[in-house]
Amino acid sequence: MLIVFLAILALFITLHSIPGDPISIALGPRATPEIQAEYAARMHLDKPLYHQFVIFIGNVIKGDLGNDLFSNRAVLAILAEQLPFTIILAITAIGWSALIGIPLGCLSAIKPNSILDRVTGILSVGTIAIPSFLVSIWAILVFSIGLKWLPVIGAGEPGDIGDQIYHLILPAFAVGLGWVGYLARMVRASMLEVMSENYIRSANAFGLRGRTIIFRYALKVAILPTITLIGVGFGALLSGTVFAEIIFSRPGIGKIIYNMVLARNFPVIQGAVLVTIGMYVIVTLIADLIVSWLDPRVRDTL
Amino acid sequence: MGVFGLLLVLIVVISAVFAPIFATHNPFSMDIANRLAGPSLEHFFGTDQLGRDTYTRVLYGGRVALKVAAVGVSASLIIGLTLGMIAGYGPQWLDNLLLLLFDAVRSFPTIVLALAAVALLGPSLSLVMTIVIITSIPGYARLARTSTLALKNTEFILAERSLGASMKRILTIHIMPNVIGPLLILAAMDVPVVVTIEAGLSFLGLGVQPPTASWGTILNEGYLIIRTTPWIVIAGGIPLILTTLGFTFLGESLRDVFDPRLRKGR
Amino acid sequence: MTTLLNVKNLNVDFRTPLGRVHALRDINFKITKGKIVGVVGESGSGKSTVIWALTQLLAKNGVVESGTATFEDIDLLQAGKNEIMGVRGEKISMVFQDPMTSQSPVLTYEQQMKDILYRKSNLSKDQKKQKAIDMMARVGIPDPESRIKQYPHQFSGGMRQRAGIAMSMLMDPSLLIADEPTTALDVTMEAQIIHLIRELQKETETTIIVVSHNLGLIAELCDEVIIMYAGEIVETGDVEDIYYNPGHPYTKALLECDPARELEDTRKLSVIPGDIPDLHVKPKGCVFASRCKFSGEKCHTKKPVNVEVSNATHVAKCHLLNPEFSELAAEINLKTQESSNKIEKRYMRTSDKSFLEVNNINVQFPLMGKVSAMIKGIKKRHVNAVIDASLKIEQGETLGLVGESGSGKTTLGRAILGLVKTKSGTANFEGVDLCTLPDNAFKPLRREMAMMFQDPVGSLSPRQTVRSLLTEPFKIHNISIDLDEEAKRLCDIVRLPENFLSRYPHELSGGQARRVGVARALSLNPKLIIADEPTAGLDVSVQGEILNLMNELQDEHGITYLIISHNLPVVRHISDKLAIMYLGRLVETGESTHIFKRPAHPYTEALVTGIPQPDPRKRRRLLSIEGEIPSLTNRPSGCEFHNRCKYAQEKCKNVTPKSQTLTDGRQVLCHFPLET
Repeated sequence: MLIVFLAILALFITLHSIPGDPISIALGPRATPEIQAEYAARMHLDKPLYHQFVIFIGNVIKGDLGNDLFSNRAVLAILAEQLPFTIILAITAIGWSALIGIPLGCLSAIKPNSILDRVTGILSVGTIAIPSFLVSIWAILVFSIGLKWLPVIGAGEPGDIGDQIYHLILPAFAVGLGWVGYLARMVRASMLEVMSENYIRSANAFGLRGRTIIFRYALKVAILPTITLIGVGFGALLSGTVFAEIIFSRPGIGKIIYNMVLARNFPVIQGAVLVTIGMYVIVTLIADLIVSWLDPRVRDTL
Repeated sequence: MGVFGLLLVLIVVISAVFAPIFATHNPFSMDIANRLAGPSLEHFFGTDQLGRDTYTRVLYGGRVALKVAAVGVSASLIIGLTLGMIAGYGPQWLDNLLLLLFDAVRSFPTIVLALAAVALLGPSLSLVMTIVIITSIPGYARLARTSTLALKNTEFILAERSLGASMKRILTIHIMPNVIGPLLILAAMDVPVVVTIEAGLSFLGLGVQPPTASWGTILNEGYLIIRTTPWIVIAGGIPLILTTLGFTFLGESLRDVFDPRLRKGR
Repeated sequence: MTTLLNVKNLNVDFRTPLGRVHALRDINFKITKGKIVGVVGESGSGKSTVIWALTQLLAKNGVVESGTATFEDIDLLQAGKNEIMGVRGEKISMVFQDPMTSQSPVLTYEQQMKDILYRKSNLSKDQKKQKAIDMMARVGIPDPESRIKQYPHQFSGGMRQRAGIAMSMLMDPSLLIADEPTTALDVTMEAQIIHLIRELQKETETTIIVVSHNLGLIAELCDEVIIMYAGEIVETGDVEDIYYNPGHPYTKALLECDPARELEDTRKLSVIPGDIPDLHVKPKGCVFASRCKFSGEKCHTKKPVNVEVSNATHVAKCHLLNPEFSELAAEINLKTQESSNKIEKRYMRTSDKSFLEVNNINVQFPLMGKVSAMIKGIKKRHVNAVIDASLKIEQGETLGLVGESGSGKTTLGRAILGLVKTKSGTANFEGVDLCTLPDNAFKPLRREMAMMFQDPVGSLSPRQTVRSLLTEPFKIHNISIDLDEEAKRLCDIVRLPENFLSRYPHELSGGQARRVGVARALSLNPKLIIADEPTAGLDVSVQGEILNLMNELQDEHGITYLIISHNLPVVRHISDKLAIMYLGRLVETGESTHIFKRPAHPYTEALVTGIPQPDPRKRRRLLSIEGEIPSLTNRPSGCEFHNRCKYAQEKCKNVTPKSQTLTDGRQVLCHFPLET
């Protein structure tokens, strides 16, 4: 929680220490003094800095993130429109990569140094290395332009789930590809470590079935660091999502920030960054909760 | 795997450092008449929309990447190492404070931070470098901190203290050599990350500015005309992949080298 | 008297990068139904390898070269996967050495036990749960219905081992294998577990194999004994025969080395010199020949066969017992007159000034930060590791600081050396108070005091050579001296060959690393050495080496020792004085012979009588002590030992005792000491 506060504070201070007069940057050189004054009053720019910050926090809690500089719509509303797209993309990407990556990692650990293991190993390292935006670009090249199987732009017709899914495939693939390898390696390393623990040997000595041992004794422990890692890596996931949104021209938080950056639309940027921080915090919190639900040792220390 | 990686790395580094020797054209010279040509003997990767030789630009782009990697990684490593050791060995309150800072920085998606920073200060290569360094430091610092903490309570550090060794001596002679290993591996794995960030940001127009060639800007231009010619996008991407794959393979095999050696000891 | 398990001609190798290690050679033994059989051996004897081989659980690089293990008409070594799974847990079950790591940390005991019972498909889930609860109650876990839903980390060490035993007995196995069942436990807990195993065996008549290096444990529990050395069985027989009439020289030597067996106070402990042979090569002749006091030429060239010792069931593999080689035996017998081990202690009092005087030291550790404590509303956020500890050591003496886990002994040692901050109290070293000394004034004093650490390899910096480690103290104190000369001198003192100077810590064996530790401690000619668990991890046959070395150094240089240990038998032999700690307090201090022969504090009595005696005729009928060591955060009221004390009275529950001085000079912290 402290982190969030710190981050917001930092953001606020940087935004307000930009060189140049915020008023003229926002309104342009042609604004008359009256408009300028009115703007200043509205934005509370006449009050001292800490007072502005307090007002800001108060507004945030109320749900008011300010208004778009140009269209004057509430920032919150704008963001609310865009957020679902980002979330869907992120979840789909993680979803499919986990569905493939985790079992692959598991299998690699069960049969180390087998062909499956080695192939998975090389592929994992390979996919981790390739930057996700490059994957996006090349995927477009191959699947959209070359083979003409999948669309390039946009998120699909609103209301048409099928079309939306159709538009989701390529971006989700691009964002998730790196994660497959990453997860596979993480799970493999974790499992190998767990399998060499004494309690696995005990379970074997008590004659428990192989499958019971793998799932209930080994995987349950091995998956914990992986979950934590997903939580922590969410930041990286968002980065990939942002790139994908820009390249595929999909609506989403990333796209918004990008557009607004070029337009210097500060309230929106501020709000969007805030939302991003919020998402990250929520995700790490969820990850921690899941881990403590699974690991009783952590539960006791909470 | 490691040897393969080393090979790739060498190819990339040499071609970047000696770019002028390998180049066939001047990276800035335009040959409008020949624009958007496909690969040929004269232009290995073809030409872009302004008639510039893609191959040459790619080589020079390597220089940018290398510069960012070298400066970025070394700076983050040194700063991160120092901060991490201080956090691990020093008083508790300092550790808590530093940890808070590290986590705060780490929690930001780099791209969002970059976008916000560019919104304020305008795009440039130095900005990209600074962002890269700032976001990389927590990674090194955390690693250094964990290793330092683990070592701090071992008996041999206790033994050194019982002999009367000063903190400075302990940190420099005993702790640092044991801590730096994993950091070097992280550095090797970090190069691809750093290079990717630079390429990504330049791709979005936030980093290196035209007409300087960077793999990111090449990809940017290539993407805009992707339906006309695919070659630029391919050409821009290949060196990027070679670099990232190379360093990743190298890093992985370094990790394998370090681990069994340590394990055999105990 | 049926044979339950018959092992014939078992040979096991391990594949290593350096070649094959012949870990087990020609192992033959029979386990009779209903008996408790002990397998005794030190490290490298192969005793654990045997049991893992039986259940096909050897490490991946283990290979069973040959042999059969017949158990209920199945050959365990050849059994297919399904067969062996059918045997494991059901017919043959195991109790493991370390209950901490051998139980899954993320599953409740209920779940783990239900998993073991999966084969009983005729039982419903509730019935399985009930069976588990019943078993937990049988092993002495209070309130089993609710505790069964708990996780291993919520149990204390002793309870975890009880739970482990419960898990192994769930399927009523015919054979129970216990691998070092008490090694990870405190002395008082060990006694309870031994008692438990005995009771269970009487009730269920399960056949038990106990693997251990602890001769006392084996004497307490077992009916028959198998002695192993370096991968071979050297002697087998009934427990009384083995302990009272050992045939094999190794058995004899092992018994001699056990400090618990020696009743007289000797300062020099017996040792078996040398190391076990390199098992990459199959030994020609007798495997023990290179270390055997009695060995003759034949021993090195011809393999000995089993010869009867006292009766048909007692056999040992030794040429000397073989009537064919009687001349050999006679010739060697002349060599074996034991020199007296008793050494007179020479006090070297150079001055009347007190040497080391510790007064009322208190050490506290915070459990959490101030802020967290405030948030959680916890008042007591500190744990008291050491409370009001007072000691006196004279120069040239050896004081043994004894206690179980959580007693605070290591903390006290470190506090004296200034490695841990004290909350209050003084530690006067030749008149100077160490606790209030600032760092730079302390530094020169550090030349007078040194510490030997518990983990021999871990206390040496992994990246420094032995030479560098030995000369480090000189560098720290800026002493200009010929470093190479010094390094050589130190190696000589501890009898380490000079070529070790260029080795790294991970290339040293435990014993060698310990000697480097001693050498480093000696480097600046200290007057006081604090040794933390100097024999931890060392085999019985070699632990004497380090202690004898320390003794010699004391005789030559007048060094004063403070030895911290939980191993009472060892400490008793080399200490002049003892100090017993419990939950951070010193409960009894005084001359070690007095304390041992007539303990004054009930806890001391429990400790002394709690040590399993390596003497089968001295089996204890009653338990010396019940219960567990309380957690430091949950201290009992009044006299903190009252809830486990046989003699506790009303006053003990409410009033904290003050230190009393007895007639022979001892200090005791008890309302009703057993001696006056």
